[in-house]
Amino acid sequence: MDSWIAIIRLDLALFLRDRKALVLLYLVPVLMAAFFGQLTGGTGGKAERSAIGLVLVDLDGSAASRGVVAAFTNDSTFAVVVTNEAAARDRVTAGRVPVGLVFPPGFSTNLLQGIFQSDRRPVVTLLFDPSHETERSLLEGMLVPKVVSGVADGLLNVDVGRDLIARGRTNILRAQRLPEIQRRLLLDSLAQADAFLESRRTSVARTNAVAGPAELPLPYRVDAQPLTRVAGARYNGFAHSFAGMSLQFVLMVMIDLAVGLLTERQSGTFRRLRAAPLSRATLLLGKATSYAIIALSTFVVSFAVAMSAFGVRIHGSWIGFVAVILALCYFSATLALALAAIGRTPKATRGLAIPVVLILLMLGGAWIPSFIFPSWVRTVSLWMPTGWGIEALDAMTWRGLDVSAVFLPVAGLVAVGTLLGGIAWRRFRWDGGPGS
Amino acid sequence: MNTEGSAPVVLAARNLVRRFGDRVAVDGISFEVRAGESVGLLGPNGAGKTTTFSMVTGLLRPDSGELLLGGAALVSDTDPIKRRLGLVPQDLALYEELDARRNLGFFAAIQGVGRSRIPEAVRSALEFVGLSDRADDRVGTFSGGMKRRLNLAAALLHDPDILLLDEPTVGVDPQSRNAIFDNIAELRRRGKTLLYTTHYMEEVERLCDRVIIIDRGRIVADDSLARLRHRAGAGAGAELRIELEEPAPETLTGILRDIPGIGSVRIDGRSVQVRVGSLAAGSSQVLGRLAEAGIGVRSFSAEPPNLEAVFLELTGRSLRDS
Ligand SMILES: Nc1ncnc2c1ncn2[C@@H]1O[C@H](COP(=O)(O)OP(=O)(O)O)[C@@H](O)[C@H]1O
Ligand SMILES: [Mg+2]
Repeated sequence: MDSWIAIIRLDLALFLRDRKALVLLYLVPVLMAAFFGQLTGGTGGKAERSAIGLVLVDLDGSAASRGVVAAFTNDSTFAVVVTNEAAARDRVTAGRVPVGLVFPPGFSTNLLQGIFQSDRRPVVTLLFDPSHETERSLLEGMLVPKVVSGVADGLLNVDVGRDLIARGRTNILRAQRLPEIQRRLLLDSLAQADAFLESRRTSVARTNAVAGPAELPLPYRVDAQPLTRVAGARYNGFAHSFAGMSLQFVLMVMIDLAVGLLTERQSGTFRRLRAAPLSRATLLLGKATSYAIIALSTFVVSFAVAMSAFGVRIHGSWIGFVAVILALCYFSATLALALAAIGRTPKATRGLAIPVVLILLMLGGAWIPSFIFPSWVRTVSLWMPTGWGIEALDAMTWRGLDVSAVFLPVAGLVAVGTLLGGIAWRRFRWDGGPGS
Repeated sequence: MNTEGSAPVVLAARNLVRRFGDRVAVDGISFEVRAGESVGLLGPNGAGKTTTFSMVTGLLRPDSGELLLGGAALVSDTDPIKRRLGLVPQDLALYEELDARRNLGFFAAIQGVGRSRIPEAVRSALEFVGLSDRADDRVGTFSGGMKRRLNLAAALLHDPDILLLDEPTVGVDPQSRNAIFDNIAELRRRGKTLLYTTHYMEEVERLCDRVIIIDRGRIVADDSLARLRHRAGAGAGAELRIELEEPAPETLTGILRDIPGIGSVRIDGRSVQVRVGSLAAGSSQVLGRLAEAGIGVRSFSAEPPNLEAVFLELTGRSLRDS
């Protein structure tokens, strides 16, 4: 019993020794919980979600299509950019916007006729980034109410619809050979359509999102086109997950290495290094290089498996791919050194490194699709070097972009790595604890 | 004061001071070491020996004072003059996960031994400390004594001419300890300059020609071993140890104090310690008086005065229990 209590007391006393680690231990879970809770909806109040990027191309330019465009623009679910078709395709291909819609010429006319004749239905092209299936389905679902309300709005605002109906009625009345009974039926249905439009005028203003009746055929068809640069390239979910997971593993190993460096410093071997004609620069450079090599080996193994067993291909530039991997290794290695330099003790470094790495991975988009983040988090995400790296790997693998797509991410990773290296250089103390 | 007064000074410390917070670990230490000398730095734990070594090897910057290696101050971490130094740290400085050969290979490279010469340097260092047959075993599997020997070998790879040995035998079995002594004696014979810290005076007595005694960050004595002995024994004096047949009578102290030229007298039950000025005259007189008083002697021994006594005299404290 006494020894049991003695063990407990000793452990707690040891545990309480490292104040810095202690603060992290208690603070970090709270901060992380608050942070992740915020990401996943907070207290159920109107958490402000960030908008889904959407490019719209209106080749029709009619009142109806403009109504649909306006319906999307007014919906805060989407961040709409209206542009031409080539630009829209470019944006989606490069992964800058997850989804896009192209409304064809004659959209509104065909839409009205499509109500009665299924072969006249207009084809709306849905462009999407194959790694954003969620956004694509969401958009496809939202298209129905948007078209209904947008077309109605567009028509009602200028009374084009009723004008069309009026012209229809004229045509029907002029048609000589139409049997009287059919003439009456058509005129009746036009009158009903007219009344329907009239009723939409008032109800649309109140409920903007009435789903189209599911049992009726839609008055348009959707042609969904996944966009990647290379003709044969197909989206490969493994490409993305291997990028994310290998980076995750590399960063975990870096935590270990940072802690190991401090443990090594506490051991006598550093005294020997100090006594030798060796500079701190050589020491740090040596450490950084070995960490980078360890990181590189992880990436090489991961992608070798991804390519041989999971069909991952470099559809973009090999040079770009290698450049991104090397930049990530540089970034990871200097991150380890900076963490060790800032943490100073093994325990504190672990406490610091774990949340840093989790946030880097989380916000880098390794785990959760970024569109569910609140917009302020998305803004922060844009600053995550891990995110640059993962996106750049995506660009070189399944997206098949050319090498220019990695210039910026690689430059960013190198810049941040250099900054971290600078921090390590300034702050790392290589004389360990007491010598006796 | 030096035994090798003609050899050049290879290491000079002038007024070194180093504090850790409020504690002054080294408080104005000055000494010189000449080429080929073998100097013992003797002092109790916490005296400042390791801190002094750390300053000499550039691990710690002195708060004040000056250090000259071969007449020049260390200018940077990479100063090539550091190659003249070999440090055997007090704490084992080895990578336990790696085998002995890789450990030494790494330290040789760090010391600037050329790549082509490393295998030979490692081989001869291992042979020197008698670990050739364990070269490819993980250091973690070594006994404490073997690790100490490897710790010594790691300082020899670049063939430095000044060796700083910080308690190289601490916590080792007698066998390894003798092996390390033999190694150090051999290094001395090869003309290396040795600076050796310990709190075991037997080591200093066995290995050094000169002794610097440190206490609480200050030098309390710096002299040749012979002279320090002389000083402690006040001439060719000796320490007599007598074991009596019966517990000593009260009157014994008075009887012994009456003898001319007698030093300190300590009596504890049957055991008696007497410091005398001269071994021959002193011992015959002491034994004569005991016989006169009818006090039976079971055993008798005489020792020349040792550094323990010198330390006691200089600091008023014993070396071991401070
Ligand atoms: N890094 C350090 N931080 C704080 N105090 C130290 C440090 N190194 C040594 N000391 C203190 O300085 C004094 C001298 O230590 P040291 O030089 O190791 O003594 P020795 O080697 O003679 O046993 C001791 O009181 C010790 O506690
Ligand atoms: Mg010491």
